[in-house]
Amino acid sequence: MKTRAQTYAAKLLKRKWLSKKTFEILLNLPPAFTFKPGQRISLSLEKQERDYSIVSAPKESELALCIRKVTGGKLSRLLSVTDIGTSLLVSGPYGYFTYKISHRPAVFVATGTGIAPFCSMARSGISGFTILHGVRSPVDLYYASQLQQSARKYIPCLSDAKKTTGNAFQGKVTEYLEQHLTPGAYDFYLCGRSEMIRDVTRLIDERSPGSLVYTELFY
Amino acid sequence: MKIYTGTGDRGITSLFSGERVPKDNTRVDAYGDIDELNSVLGALAANLSDEEALIEELQQIQSTLLQLSAWLATRPDSALLESLEEIADEQITFLEDAIDRLQKGLPVLKGFILPAGHITASWAHVARTVCRRSERKVVPLLNNVPEGKAAAQYRKSLIYLNRLSDYLFVLARHCNHMNGFSDKLWKK
Repeated sequence: MKTRAQTYAAKLLKRKWLSKKTFEILLNLPPAFTFKPGQRISLSLEKQERDYSIVSAPKESELALCIRKVTGGKLSRLLSVTDIGTSLLVSGPYGYFTYKISHRPAVFVATGTGIAPFCSMARSGISGFTILHGVRSPVDLYYASQLQQSARKYIPCLSDAKKTTGNAFQGKVTEYLEQHLTPGAYDFYLCGRSEMIRDVTRLIDERSPGSLVYTELFY
Repeated sequence: MKIYTGTGDRGITSLFSGERVPKDNTRVDAYGDIDELNSVLGALAANLSDEEALIEELQQIQSTLLQLSAWLATRPDSALLESLEEIADEQITFLEDAIDRLQKGLPVLKGFILPAGHITASWAHVARTVCRRSERKVVPLLNNVPEGKAAAQYRKSLIYLNRLSDYLFVLARHCNHMNGFSDKLWKK
């Protein structure tokens, strides 16, 4: 593959909480670091290492990452409290989850922080896609306004029926696709939890033959 | 969190270029055999316990086989073709130089030999036969797509696999000779 990953030192510039458990961090990186929207980096601090998809666009001066503080997740816990100005190690870019120009309509499907690569794509000028963001409650619909500007259709899918908002779909992303997706061939980009990727891919196999499926698994 | 998705549980898989295809698809069949070849090379390397230069040579070949697999796993009309690294002529001459180097230390061959002998030689022969099978699986891909960027890489792949088979034959003999085994000639 043509991508050559390298390691860089990066400084933590800012941390912004997006919901109770999710926050965004901004890092400064040398101009030599380049990537394509949709790619990820490997971040390490105090011998803890983990991959994160980039939220920002390549043209932006700071690198943005969206991180969920997970139970037992050592790095996410560290990043949620570490001092601003701390030096981190970044290697990358990695992955091929990038947007491909096509005659088929693009359908982006994300769960939780799996929205990150799609934000990077939108912030890089990619537009006209349909995007589904599956989360538990409305507070987790981070980056909604940015995505709404670029998307042909932005569909928040809330799995917790008690917490509704506006015109959000009540249910999982798979249920939305089952009920509303017009038959045809699409380019699907799936990013998030394994259960979503499995369920949506099975649905595509059954109902959207001729589609392309690109996946990025978050675990 | 689970690291498996189960998207292939029903006998369908995704190509690198995104198409959902049955697992007996000709492309999957071809890169599956290259994967098998790569694994056999790993087994061979694992048995070459203190031959560091040879192990390094095999690891370089293993990396090239992954590069080659990416071409086979990508449909010729995919935009992803642009992200793939082309197989360089140097990767083929790397094998040719290695063949010449190994050949120099071996006695002249006077007939067919049995694929047998030391465990390392036997693994090299298994690798050689899997390599030949992989080569046969690439041929139909080239026949289906005779022109264009992908076809040029399938042609390069065929050259690489052909040369790799020769390398593995010479390597098998080398492994026998360095371990005190002589060639077992075919007796009719």
